[in-house]
Amino acid sequence: MLSSLIWVPFLGAAIVGFLPNLSANRARLLALSIASGVIVWTLFLLTQFNISNAGFQFSEFIPWIDTLGLNYSLGVDGLSVPLLALNSLLTWIVIYSTSEQITRPRLYYSLILLVSAGIAGAFLSQNLMLFVLFYELELIPLYLLIAIWGGTQKRGYAAMKFLIYTAVSGILILAAFLGVTWLGNAPNFDYNPLVTQGLSLNTQLILLTMLLVGFGIKIPLVPLHTWLPDAYVEASPPIAILLGGVLAKLGTYGLVRFGLGMFPEAWVTVAPGLAIIGAFSAAYGALSAIAQKDIKRMVAYSSIGHMGYILLAAAAATPLSLLGAVLQMFSHGLILAILFHLVGIVETKVGTRDLDVLNGLLSPQRGLPFTTGLLVLGGMASAGIPGLVGFIAEFLVLQGSFSAFPIPTLVCVLCSGLTAVYFVILLNRTCFGKLDNTTAYYPKVQWVERTPALVLAALIFFLGLQPTWLVRLSETTTTAMGATITTTSNVQVAAKN
Amino acid sequence: MSFAELAAQLNAGTILPEGIVIVTLLAVLVVDLIVGRTSSRVTPYIAIAGLLSAIVALYYQWDNTNTVSFLGGFNSDALSVVFRGIIALSCAVTILMSIRYIEQSGTSLAEFIGIMISATLGGMFLSGANELVMIFVSLETLSISSYLMTGYMKRDPRSNEAALKYLLIGASSSAIFLYGLSLLYGLSGGETELSAIATAMANASTDLSFGLVIALVFAIAGIAFKISAVPFHQWTPDVYEGSPTPVVAFLSVGSKAAGFALAIRLMVTAFPLITEQWHFVFTALAVLSMVLGNVVALTQTSMKRLLAYSSIAQAGFVMIGLITGTEAGYSSMVFYLLVYLFMNLGGFACVILFSLRTGTDQISEYSGLYQKDPLLTLVLSICLLSLGGIPPLAGFFGKIYLFWAAWKSGAYGLVLLGLVTSVVSIYYYIRVVRMMVVKEPQEMSESVKNYPEIRWNLPGMRPLQVTLVLSLIVTSVAGILSNPLFTLANSSVTRTTMLQGAPVVSTQTPAISHQPSTVNIQVGG
Repeated sequence: MLSSLIWVPFLGAAIVGFLPNLSANRARLLALSIASGVIVWTLFLLTQFNISNAGFQFSEFIPWIDTLGLNYSLGVDGLSVPLLALNSLLTWIVIYSTSEQITRPRLYYSLILLVSAGIAGAFLSQNLMLFVLFYELELIPLYLLIAIWGGTQKRGYAAMKFLIYTAVSGILILAAFLGVTWLGNAPNFDYNPLVTQGLSLNTQLILLTMLLVGFGIKIPLVPLHTWLPDAYVEASPPIAILLGGVLAKLGTYGLVRFGLGMFPEAWVTVAPGLAIIGAFSAAYGALSAIAQKDIKRMVAYSSIGHMGYILLAAAAATPLSLLGAVLQMFSHGLILAILFHLVGIVETKVGTRDLDVLNGLLSPQRGLPFTTGLLVLGGMASAGIPGLVGFIAEFLVLQGSFSAFPIPTLVCVLCSGLTAVYFVILLNRTCFGKLDNTTAYYPKVQWVERTPALVLAALIFFLGLQPTWLVRLSETTTTAMGATITTTSNVQVAAKN
Repeated sequence: MSFAELAAQLNAGTILPEGIVIVTLLAVLVVDLIVGRTSSRVTPYIAIAGLLSAIVALYYQWDNTNTVSFLGGFNSDALSVVFRGIIALSCAVTILMSIRYIEQSGTSLAEFIGIMISATLGGMFLSGANELVMIFVSLETLSISSYLMTGYMKRDPRSNEAALKYLLIGASSSAIFLYGLSLLYGLSGGETELSAIATAMANASTDLSFGLVIALVFAIAGIAFKISAVPFHQWTPDVYEGSPTPVVAFLSVGSKAAGFALAIRLMVTAFPLITEQWHFVFTALAVLSMVLGNVVALTQTSMKRLLAYSSIAQAGFVMIGLITGTEAGYSSMVFYLLVYLFMNLGGFACVILFSLRTGTDQISEYSGLYQKDPLLTLVLSICLLSLGGIPPLAGFFGKIYLFWAAWKSGAYGLVLLGLVTSVVSIYYYIRVVRMMVVKEPQEMSESVKNYPEIRWNLPGMRPLQVTLVLSLIVTSVAGILSNPLFTLANSSVTRTTMLQGAPVVSTQTPAISHQPSTVNIQVGG
């Protein structure tokens, strides 16, 4: 059942790429129908998902390369199921929101489907080496997606920077996994949290640090984030959605699944530091966003800030904060997708992303009232206004983390306020004010272009008002994970006393 | 000694594959003499058929338990079978891609194939050679044929220069190697067979260790030349740039595989007493090769020079398996060489095809190629990415296995260096892919703008196309469906007796590999 989530897009990529005489329109339709099929299949899986089971479900196991300890082992639990759904949804949106006049459409759709298959595979892998395989699989397609279809100025530079950073991240993760498996005397690379039990705390700390840096590049955490503004800004809007919406989640997911899941003892030791880094990331992201003049850059830095909350929540590792972390991953995916999509529309219609040039887009006659209306909604969701999904996630994160790390949590609350500040700046400069009479003759926004944003906005609203639909998917798993951490830390405290 | 006894000791059936290759060689030459220039229509296929039947004959050697032949001069154990197979296969593929190249240069194809097959013979005998004289004779057969091939384009000054350089360095490194071998002969009291040398050394009453170390260093100087390990690599970039491209393809795979076969057999059998020392030396060579090969490749502008430095670096990766000294280490070498064969030959086939069509091999001239020649772009991209170790291509699994085997034996430093340098390698491999795929139509280079119409029906083009498709399929699928290859690599090592008896072999338990005395940790870490 789970395999089809990987193999259908993968085969789709091959078909779109190699089927002879495929016109641009047909390629697009084919890619869209494959993505739609994947969404339907994901929805079906969601209905079959047993929410009271904390372990892995729908597991599949095929022995693959025995010599390497690499098995084709898949499974899904409450931590990965919302992210899988996010991946299926955003893949569809990415394909749908791509301009129909794109150059080299077949290579483009083929690469998108390949990335989607790789991401699904990484979320599903229950074997460390298989995870690395899928993790590194994204490298080249994304490099090409940025380098070929990116912005005009520095796309080659941005793509290469992304490539090198991600490759370094991949080798750190690989080294950590080799270390875990061999030092833990495991017979193969299958994911097994017990493998690390026999290791000394120092070894665990070294391996955990490798994982933290490896995944920290992908998330990205603050000292390791410098690839992000370039890559997000140079990527075309659909690719930015893919990068920020799903790929960044691969980092946070990996951190929680492998960092916290395999090294509970070491995790408790480094948690205070992580909480501080998380709070620092949030503050850095928010303050840098305030200083930007380019709306895409602003959204990119806001992404750094929001990922900081996830790190704080993961560091606290209470059942509530872990739930908040999963929710924040999901809601950040939705919100970033809607923001990048709308910014993309504004850029194509108005022709600039400069805050000093944009003005009065909310004007009903000659502006882009509907688009900017949705932009206001997206900004509010990002800033954590109640009634939208962002609020629920942030509130759970903050409430869950406060008991463990009060000061970093308060810093994050403050940053949440700063988020509102830069979004108000953004909205004020773009939506309000007067249109410039000499330049303001913008093309109409078609309904087709609005559809993705409408879908996302509906989801953001709906899940903001009815969060249980999201919460109950992950609750059992995160509670179980939180419980192991709590016991670990209690044992450590007891040992100290 | 009766005739039956002699025949049993000669055990001549073990060299049946080489026998087939020799017959092929003669057939190619005779047909050429009788038919004349038009023979080039058949000779390459005779040669390929001969090499493939030699591989089939090797398959029947696999289960042979009575492996020692020619009074101990030749050993046809599973390891040598695998290496002979790799060399024969690399020769067959090289001939496929050289037909058009040599024809177009206006030189005789049959003579070229004849020399190529002699080099293959040398390499195949070297893989199983078990005795000092035999080792040297087959090494020289390989080397002398290689000099001739390097200078085969005798009107091209670069080819002449490459041949001269290769000859001078190669002959002196052979001389150094020969000093090492004669020293071994003297130290062991007149033994030439490798295992007898080890026994004699072990039983010697006086301390031979200094002489042994000198012999070791001299021997390694010869081997490192063949596998182009830094600092014995200086010939590689110049020879690769100047020689005919098919020759370079063969040197980078066939000749290198022969060098590794020699390294395993000579080091493990003749130097078991000073295992730590040769591990130490090879560790240094591997570290230097990985660093220098990968870093210098960053600045290359010619495709053949880029592949030259890349092959130096790849040799560094393979040496990790040799240093590991475990069964997993040796079989990871075999596995890597198997997949390396297809990705490297595929890469060179693309270089040949591009230079046949445009007459240049500058990297910047590849710009915008995807529009004019999608197949070439696809194959070259896949082969280069596989060399860089990108999943799910064959090279990824090869590297993972090397690193996994080395990590298991505790060589953490080497693994980390290997990982870091493979990130560096991704940078220069992707640079070529970027040229071909990413560049816009208006950024097309002059040669690509004037790219000739693609025609596969010219003489010699079909075989080239076959090579491209074959290497594309193997490189992209051999990783995913690698279980048979893994089984082959593993059983070739487990069935080889010399690797069982060596002291460091089968250090599967971490207890041994964590000993602080292990050289890997001292140097690599």
